[in-house]
Amino acid sequence: MQRDYFDRVHFWGRISSVTALAVMLGIPLSISLHFGIWPQAAGVLNGLLKIIPMFWSIAVIEVLTYAPLLGAGGTYLSFVTGNISNLKLPCAINAMQNAKVSPSSEEGEVISTIAVASSSITTTLIIAVGVLAFSPLLPVITAEDSAIAPAFKQVVPALFGALGAGYFSKHFKISLVPIAAGVLILLVFPALPVGTLIPVTVIISLLGAHLSYKHTQKKEKKRQNQA
Amino acid sequence: MDFKTDAFMYLLGSAVAAFCIVQSFFFLVKAWRQGKKLGLSSRTMKNTAVSAALFTVAPAIAVLATVITLAGALGIVLPWIRLTVIGNISYEVTAVQSALEGFGVKSGLAVAIADREIFTAAAWVMTVGSVFPLVLLPLLLKRIQKKIGKVTGRDTKWADLMSAAAFIGLIAAFIARALAGAGDKNIAGDGAGVMSVLTLFAAVGFMLPLQKICDKYSIKWLEPFAMPASMILAMVVALLAAQLLPANFVVLEWRG
Repeated sequence: MQRDYFDRVHFWGRISSVTALAVMLGIPLSISLHFGIWPQAAGVLNGLLKIIPMFWSIAVIEVLTYAPLLGAGGTYLSFVTGNISNLKLPCAINAMQNAKVSPSSEEGEVISTIAVASSSITTTLIIAVGVLAFSPLLPVITAEDSAIAPAFKQVVPALFGALGAGYFSKHFKISLVPIAAGVLILLVFPALPVGTLIPVTVIISLLGAHLSYKHTQKKEKKRQNQA
Repeated sequence: MDFKTDAFMYLLGSAVAAFCIVQSFFFLVKAWRQGKKLGLSSRTMKNTAVSAALFTVAPAIAVLATVITLAGALGIVLPWIRLTVIGNISYEVTAVQSALEGFGVKSGLAVAIADREIFTAAAWVMTVGSVFPLVLLPLLLKRIQKKIGKVTGRDTKWADLMSAAAFIGLIAAFIARALAGAGDKNIAGDGAGVMSVLTLFAAVGFMLPLQKICDKYSIKWLEPFAMPASMILAMVVALLAAQLLPANFVVLEWRG
């Protein structure tokens, strides 16, 4: 990686994260100023105490899990616009796979950033246009009894089925163990949130791949010695 | 006019959306320029951007649908803002419920919030609860990337396999959920069942031959569209199944 580009991405990424933090905190601040209402601190703290232990621990796990997959630029952007596991990450994975670049390469960093940025712009525009232009119609389209509702309920299996097919066909040997492990874990803990399951299956997959890699290396060494 | 959807709220929402677009565009331009320096073709980068945008359409509409689910209680603007920055439906619902409970409101999201103080409190709880990654990233990301660089620099073969394995681990979690995970009891079709498995296998069934066609006949232009096309076709299968298969069979969820 060219050092200067890498450093620049972190420089701009840090500025953008801090700016995004200010923008985010500015939202409730503006609402409070606009309405002239400052909610009771005790009530807000009460609400926060219930979610912060879970949300903030997940944040640490997510940063550690997703950063190596998204690259620096992709990570800074993804954590601002959100919907990472169900949108930004599959998008970046698909883009790197199509461009035939590795996430650990300079090209992977660039392709991942382009994919995440395009995805973020599209999502922001679709939500904004949807809210501004179609808000009277949206409840009808997305209603429980709407004709297209069953399709949107299955967006995640559709997305990960298509994405998985590409990956599993290329890495079949190392794919079976993490899927089997995930299914087994869910058989015991069916309601486990997918966000909690991801780090577990990622670690199992990495361990399986490491063992498989070591085994292949040993075999190759043996073959070389025999030759 | 409802205070939750007054002109100020719409202005706030538009400003947040504009910020996200400008920031994404900034990184897009930087990456594009660097790609050119690295020798990546404009076609590859253009295909990446177009494919990513196409790929995003269906999930983004699903996100839009979640905005609507929160709109009953919070009005449409605050969920729009929250799901534009960092937002994620499971976080937002939990945060709002927690905020309401903090103020002793037991009805949850079933009833529209009419009290400005509770609405403002919900905005504070939803925001402060979700900003932590933006504190962590400036402090940690460079160090994480350096550590990764050290590992990948030593053995590129292992580095490539490691990246693939990490992706597979992530995908495996979602596939396992579609096969065996329990869903939200209040949402039909959220848990593992006929529809999730059918859609999953339909997506695989469309993607594999499309990928094979791309490889066998070297159809470069089709490659970026194989994945979004497979995803959308699988959703069409789900739609047809819901219409054509017996109702009792379609709603079958073995994990609830």
